[in-house]
Amino acid sequence: MTPRTGPLRLTVNGATHQLAVCSGALLLHVLRNDLQLNGPKYGCGLAQCGACTVLIDGKTARSCILPVGGLEGCEIVTLEGLGTLEQPHPVQAAFIAESATQCGYCVNGIILAATALLRRIPDPSDNDIRQALKYNLCRCGSHNEVLIAIRAAARAMTSHMPVVE
Amino acid sequence: MNPSLPAASPAELLARPGVLAVVRPRPDAVAEPFVVLLDDGRAIGLNGHVDLGTGIRTSLTQIVAEELDLALSSVSMVLGDTLWAPDQGYTTASETIQVTAIPLRRAAAQARGWLVGKAASLLGVSAEELEVLDGTISPRTGDGGSCTYAELIAGETIVLDLDDSFPLKDPAAYSIVGKSTRRVDIPGKVTGQWTFVHDVRLDGMLHGRVIRPPYGGRDSGAFIGRSLLRVDESSIAHMPDVKLVVIHDFVGVVAAREEDAEAAARALSVVWADFTPLPDLASPVEAVRANPSTPRILKDTGGVDEALASAAFRRSHTYVWPWHMHGSIGPCCSVAAFDAAGSLTVWSGTQTQHMLRNDLAILLDVAPDNIEIVRLETAGSYGRSGMDDVGADAALLARAVGAPVRVQLSRDQEHAWEPKGAAQLMDVDGGIDADGNLVAYDFATRYPSNMAPMLALLLTRKVDPVAGSGPIGDRNAEPPYDYENMRVVCHDQAPVVRAAFLRGVSAMPNAFAHESFIDEMAEAAGVDPVEYRARNISDPRARDLIRQTAERAGWVPKIAPGKEMIAPDVARGRGFAYSTYLHGPFPGKAAAAAAWVVDVEVNKTSGEVAVTKVVVAQDSGMVINPAGVRHQIEGNVFQSVSRVLMEQVAFNEVAVTSRDWSTYPILKFPEAPVVEAHLVPRPNDPPLGAGESASVPSAAAIVNAVYDATGVRFRELPLTPERVRTGLLEQNGSAPPFARKMKAGAPWLAAAGGLIAAAFTMLSPIKPAIAPIAFEGAGVFTSETIERGRLVAAAGNCVGCHTDGASAPNAGGHALRTPFGNVYSTNITPDVETGIGAWSYPAFERAMRQGISRDGRHLYPAFPYTAFARMTDGDLQALYAYLMSQPAVKSKVPETRLAFPMNVRPLMAGWNAMFHKAEVFTPDPARSERWNRGAYLVEGAGHCAACHSPRNALGAEATGARHLTGGIVDGWDAPALGAYSPSPIPWTEEAYYQYLRTGASAQHGATAGPMLAVVDELSALPDGDIRAMAHYLASRSPSGLSEAATTRRADALTMLGRAQLVPIDNVGARIFDGACAVCHANDNLDMFGGQVSLPLSSTVHSERPDNLIRTILNGVHDPAKGTRGAMPSFARQFSDEQLAELVTFVRKTQAAGKPAWRDVPGAIRRIRTERPR
Repeated sequence: MTPRTGPLRLTVNGATHQLAVCSGALLLHVLRNDLQLNGPKYGCGLAQCGACTVLIDGKTARSCILPVGGLEGCEIVTLEGLGTLEQPHPVQAAFIAESATQCGYCVNGIILAATALLRRIPDPSDNDIRQALKYNLCRCGSHNEVLIAIRAAARAMTSHMPVVE
Repeated sequence: MNPSLPAASPAELLARPGVLAVVRPRPDAVAEPFVVLLDDGRAIGLNGHVDLGTGIRTSLTQIVAEELDLALSSVSMVLGDTLWAPDQGYTTASETIQVTAIPLRRAAAQARGWLVGKAASLLGVSAEELEVLDGTISPRTGDGGSCTYAELIAGETIVLDLDDSFPLKDPAAYSIVGKSTRRVDIPGKVTGQWTFVHDVRLDGMLHGRVIRPPYGGRDSGAFIGRSLLRVDESSIAHMPDVKLVVIHDFVGVVAAREEDAEAAARALSVVWADFTPLPDLASPVEAVRANPSTPRILKDTGGVDEALASAAFRRSHTYVWPWHMHGSIGPCCSVAAFDAAGSLTVWSGTQTQHMLRNDLAILLDVAPDNIEIVRLETAGSYGRSGMDDVGADAALLARAVGAPVRVQLSRDQEHAWEPKGAAQLMDVDGGIDADGNLVAYDFATRYPSNMAPMLALLLTRKVDPVAGSGPIGDRNAEPPYDYENMRVVCHDQAPVVRAAFLRGVSAMPNAFAHESFIDEMAEAAGVDPVEYRARNISDPRARDLIRQTAERAGWVPKIAPGKEMIAPDVARGRGFAYSTYLHGPFPGKAAAAAAWVVDVEVNKTSGEVAVTKVVVAQDSGMVINPAGVRHQIEGNVFQSVSRVLMEQVAFNEVAVTSRDWSTYPILKFPEAPVVEAHLVPRPNDPPLGAGESASVPSAAAIVNAVYDATGVRFRELPLTPERVRTGLLEQNGSAPPFARKMKAGAPWLAAAGGLIAAAFTMLSPIKPAIAPIAFEGAGVFTSETIERGRLVAAAGNCVGCHTDGASAPNAGGHALRTPFGNVYSTNITPDVETGIGAWSYPAFERAMRQGISRDGRHLYPAFPYTAFARMTDGDLQALYAYLMSQPAVKSKVPETRLAFPMNVRPLMAGWNAMFHKAEVFTPDPARSERWNRGAYLVEGAGHCAACHSPRNALGAEATGARHLTGGIVDGWDAPALGAYSPSPIPWTEEAYYQYLRTGASAQHGATAGPMLAVVDELSALPDGDIRAMAHYLASRSPSGLSEAATTRRADALTMLGRAQLVPIDNVGARIFDGACAVCHANDNLDMFGGQVSLPLSSTVHSERPDNLIRTILNGVHDPAKGTRGAMPSFARQFSDEQLAELVTFVRKTQAAGKPAWRDVPGAIRRIRTERPR
């Protein structure tokens, strides 16, 4: 089979892009190279570590193994689409408040996994959070702050209050 | 990210108006600035050490802001750029705050002093009367005017030489230092606005990938740089835009698009020589002990031998530390660009930027002054990673292609080639006297060195691969306790595998021995281990830390292991250890000191050890950012718990075999212990390096806790379930029942078997050729006919067999594997010479119905004319119209040469007489229209039986009861459809529909192998056709179960399979957990596309392991579409042995009730060594 080439419509962070990419190209490469997004990171190419995570239709997806061809019509959200420096998403705000990362390479996937979790369970238990992050690897050992930050984000989101410093 | 400066170089900056700089003058060079204040109000600190992800940037910002009385937001730091930052050596040994920040702080104080002095003369008051608030200077009294730093600097160029005696601010007056401060980098990092080295993008930048030699993880030996035999450029000839670079053992490819570079690296055929492997590395004890070494006596006081001989209690032990990985989450990446004048800039995450520059100068024959290293942050590496290697890779490729090149290493390259944390071997012989006094300690440590030269220098033969020996094994070699007689020897030795500094280098292993041994001595002396330590340590600060930590944790004194059972299988224990990390050459310089109280739970049946809680106290002297130090302590705890419990690099005789996160698992969120980090308040003592200290006591604290739980002392790491089970059983004096041996099974006979010599009568004469035609062009067909033909072609997936790899659709040449040899598919594009361009419709119809080519030759039934014969005239005519209207592709396919008797084509006439009925499908009037449509598609154009029915010795499809009972295609099992399906859940009509329509059914898993292409093609068919096929297939073996009952059964099986995934106490379980569980454990509830439940998959229930092995090795890629998700290939990750463990585990746990597969290793070897078609 010859992979289809030609304009492909990809909706990322609310904007639809016409992209001249091969349908077999990996979503990660398209996001990083064609759309110049830094949020998703290459970590393993094996869906093992979670650094490349994006949200597709509100669910977490490993962009390092997903070809773009099948994603037309999906809503893709990257870390950049969640919130901004000026107006961070409550989960991002909680991570800033708790300094909940060390090197920051894995944090993209952790924040997006937490966001998807809080959509499913607005008030998660400690165990819910740990299980939801089971497939996100962090080597620096920021686990404690991450758990604290996600609990803070859950409180802020359920009470509709900003993350408290 | 480093801030931008308003000049192209330090020389330019220091000559510019509006600048105040404090510099260290350098002979023969431009002075090095440490602090620069600008007339826009910004202050910039410059430091030669870089932020490795620990938050040093924030702490240094605090220091500069504090001394300058500026708000944090006015200060930024330049770290590590060779052009700008001072050369302060490697970022290592947690020295940044303790050592390199000293001149920075002094420079900031000096800048403030000059500014206040100038303000005093301007305002006409004495400097003592002035105060500074965020860069504004005014009299303390509040009147008399004020001025700002920016105003004082405006128009001036002030360059002050650093005065190392300039007075510093009194710590009592600190308002920023010592206060918990949010990290300055994190807002950018959590919103995607931070630029890591991976995020550098230059105009015209190309993407490079390297292809590494097979000796992954080695850098000494005669074969290094001398193993490349040849590179077959034709293997990437179909990618004309890819450039290939080969310099001895250095091989790289460059392309404009990253995916093309990756594809080229995968496709490139490279042949490497065999070489003599070093000794077996699977056992570090033998490898390290056998490695030639030079003893270096570090300490020899008193008479150790005599004291040992007379000791009342004496023990002699060996402690074993395995090779570890840094395990950075981001594989190394770098960008390199040459300018027109030949100067090189490398964007790098290095922590040894000056060494990188000098190595690049040697590699490229460029003067170091013409090389600039721009340092950007990267994923944490906890010691020297492969950053310099990838910088060199990028530079070599950029030079070769004359454009900027970004190189990203793959995960398996990172795992294999990152310079490892070295294994280490510690021998202790020591004892106490009858009063419990420490009388003798004879300690020998063996550490294979870690200098890891830049890889490209070795691969390109710029330097010889000679293993050098460095004196690195001596960190913390001397125990902290007051043994009356002591001998400490470090056996320096060359590397065994490629190694570099990793957190707690040599100190962690040495402390593991000291702190385990002291526990044993305490018990022999009948004293609580905390009390015994405190009693035998002369440093009062250390004694204080030991006591404080125990108190904070609520330590209950003990003189024997508690062996507390908290569940029938589970014992709980608590352990203690203390260390002051000593960095630099022996006796070393003290960094922060740390002590641990750790709680563990040990499952005595499975051998699993869980660290549940860690209380750490750390004495870091003055703390700049308490929150930062606390996070760093916690980071050390999580990482070192991971190292101690789980981590060891695996090797085969040639190379590293831990090539992903499943073969080198690390601690995950569910296993993360509760951590309490306490900072000992010492605001008046100098700050001490806090980067690594909390790791150092980890191993001993944990093994001491396991001893408390079980009464067994472990002296070799990691504490894998296997090791713990064995240790517990040895204590009980019985052989380990868990020792696993692969049972030697009978060799698996290929189902397809060999050729059975079958004689049969040749009856039919040779068929005549049908005259060629001059085809008039596709214009003779209506578009409706062509469209109908397109759907017929899709139903039959013509393109699947008639296309070879990436070549043009339907141009043939694809090899179909048969027991008689490969049958090459023909070119069915309308090319006159090589395709069917000269075929009339009668010729085409004869081929489709009778299996006879236009020229009269018999076709082989690998071309399923036996099914196509059932098609209606209308469909065949439409198909002809469609095929003849495609673009003609000139492509001569290889000639099919089969074994006897199949090589005698006329014999196929006899075959046809025996096995082929050329009859058009007749609808069954008793059945519905839908059923008949389904049957027509399945048995006709769809030719499902061609793959899904067994074939006899002569290659004919089985009929009757054996119709659609499973076959083999291209080495894949095409499972039985219907009653004989290996699936544990009956196939319902809905399941068939979902599978054929989407490629996946929730109750049966996803397509893989040749079926992928079939589903792709079927996507062209209308829903009604797919529903009809599903209806027909389901009707062949009605299950009698409702959809709801089927779903319930499926859910139950899925839950059962999930329950079988624990305990994770063997290699197969670990690989599954790290590589497969994310998509297949059915517990990743937020995942897009859902999970593929293996307990429902035919693949794991099949009689043979082939489909599972092929799926793992090939992955599931669907280049034409992506709707079905994808599975990566693990061929480069898993060794044959690892794959066998995984496959065996999956069968055992996910295929409920099915017997183990026989000879999985044999099947893996067979499939791995298949010749590419």
